[in-house]
Amino acid sequence: MGALGKPIILMVAMYVFIKFVLPNIPGSAPLPSSLIALYLLLTGSGIVIFQTLSKESKDAFWGPMQRFLTGENLGGLQALRYGVLILFPLLVGWQTYGSTAVSDLPPIESRTIHPAPPGEYTGLSNPVAKTPDNIMQGKGFYAAYCSPCHGGNFDGKGPAARGFVPAPANFADPTTIAMLQESYLFWRIKKGGVGLPIEGTPWKSAMPRWEVELPDEWIWKIIMGEYDGAHQSPRTWE
Amino acid sequence: MKPAIQIIGQILRGGISVIVAIMVGGATISFAQESVSVRATLMTGGVPVDDPSAAAWSSAPPATFPMSPQVHWQNRIQEVTVKDVIVRALHDGNQMAVLIEYADPTQDPDDAAALEFMVGDKKAHFAHGQPMLQVEGGPVNIWFWKNKTDKGVDMSAKGFGTLKPQEHQDVKAKGAYSNGTWKVVFSRNLSTGHPEEDVQITPGQFISIAFAVWDGRKDGAGELVEKGSQKAVSSWWYFRADAPPDYSGYMYAAIAAALALGFQFVLIRKLKKGQ
Ligand code: HEC
Ligand code: HEM
Repeated sequence: MGALGKPIILMVAMYVFIKFVLPNIPGSAPLPSSLIALYLLLTGSGIVIFQTLSKESKDAFWGPMQRFLTGENLGGLQALRYGVLILFPLLVGWQTYGSTAVSDLPPIESRTIHPAPPGEYTGLSNPVAKTPDNIMQGKGFYAAYCSPCHGGNFDGKGPAARGFVPAPANFADPTTIAMLQESYLFWRIKKGGVGLPIEGTPWKSAMPRWEVELPDEWIWKIIMGEYDGAHQSPRTWE
Repeated sequence: MKPAIQIIGQILRGGISVIVAIMVGGATISFAQESVSVRATLMTGGVPVDDPSAAAWSSAPPATFPMSPQVHWQNRIQEVTVKDVIVRALHDGNQMAVLIEYADPTQDPDDAAALEFMVGDKKAHFAHGQPMLQVEGGPVNIWFWKNKTDKGVDMSAKGFGTLKPQEHQDVKAKGAYSNGTWKVVFSRNLSTGHPEEDVQITPGQFISIAFAVWDGRKDGAGELVEKGSQKAVSSWWYFRADAPPDYSGYMYAAIAAALALGFQFVLIRKLKKGQ
């Protein structure tokens, strides 16, 4: 007890006051926990510093500090002392205001770019023979259906891309199709944005659900043409 | 006992300087951050519900949103007239108005513009709330203005082919064309009696909004180029009606400042006594 008893009682009293008494004062509301922590930290540090100071006041570090704070024999520095004494509470108040102000920023929705595909779309292999002819055909379909968004250069910068958020994928970027298996692309192209699970934020994706318009065989050809055109190769290992 | 307290004291002293540094640094970071959303500024009375040119609009911050030709679904269009829309909004706690502004070189009877909102708690796909395969979606509320009629139609959709005018028409709209620019104002009460089909606007809350524009020009054969699904569309963005000012932050700030002041006072007294 003794040295610790009083501080503990003080801290508890402070907490009870902030947590339970303050919110009941008209015009106020329950405090956010970060604020409670800040108040308690201020109170706590105050307590501890007094305790150390009363005994260690001749400490080399605290000596000049003390003289500055108490203002003894300060002379010309007196003005600076008042400045500090006024500025510190203002700074604390300002920061507190900033931390309680309601955020003006829209909620941040995180989006998983490559969520797990449904089970039936894992491990499928491309049934179309990888002939120059089929690759050519695939590129032709790509130019007709995909390039408005994903771009003629496979860079995601097609003429229709500008308004879509999230942006159409950039296939030349090593973090898109180069990381994925053909099977995964087959799923994404067939089911489109609306086929994504909730962590993929399907309501925002402009990626069309191509199964409505394109036969599976075309999709497999497009996949070939897409890898070839973007100079990438599918991830093959499981 | 003493050394332990001393160490704690030292840690706290260090901690306080770090906190002060974060305070100063953190404040500048939050000023630098910016994001695009439609913010309906709170004003007192007289929301310009049918005046696209009212002076009050200058008090609403503009936000610009990029548009794409609709290539997501059949009956696509590869090129559209409108590349961006500039959007402002105002409200008075009761009524709200949204002003959408865009460049269009010609004024045509079939020029049209629309706003789309998610309705309720369920997410809706930005293309008319079309069904999603793994997520249960909700409906959208579409406010549709056409130059020909110069009024607003309050519509609902949940998927393609389902778009239809509502039984209860709560939306007003009015357009004004000058110098190659359309300004169209849409307005409604913040809340309506039909939360199943109408977006309900609660000040302070972020709601999803999207835009669509049709340039009613005709091609050489006299056919409309942009109509129905063939139009300029945006993705989802956020809309928020500003909440009335909340002064509790000032109170908390005053308490914190008073605490800091008291702390200084006691500290100095203690120091003086100690000497
Ligand atoms: C309307 C614009 C649009 C069109 C047209 C379009 N896409 Fe997409 N695509 C997107 C958008 C936006 C994304 C990113 C969001 C997502 O993953 O759903 C995307 C994502 C993808 C992905 C996922 C890439 C990854 O790294 O996860 C693949 C694969 C893809 N598209 C292939 C295609 C193919 C093939 C076509 C043509 C048959 C096509 N897209 C046509 C807009 C489009
Ligand atoms: C990629 C996104 C979109 C697609 C694929 C799309 C598709 C369509 C289709 C197919 C129609 C025909 C009617 C129907 O199917 O019910 C249509 C009409 C319409 N859409 Fe969209 N739409 C999209 C985005 C939007 C947005 C964002 C809005 C509003 C802001 C909107 C407003 C309308 C309106 C008002 C009509 C009726 C037009 C008329 O009757 O002349 N659409 N759209």
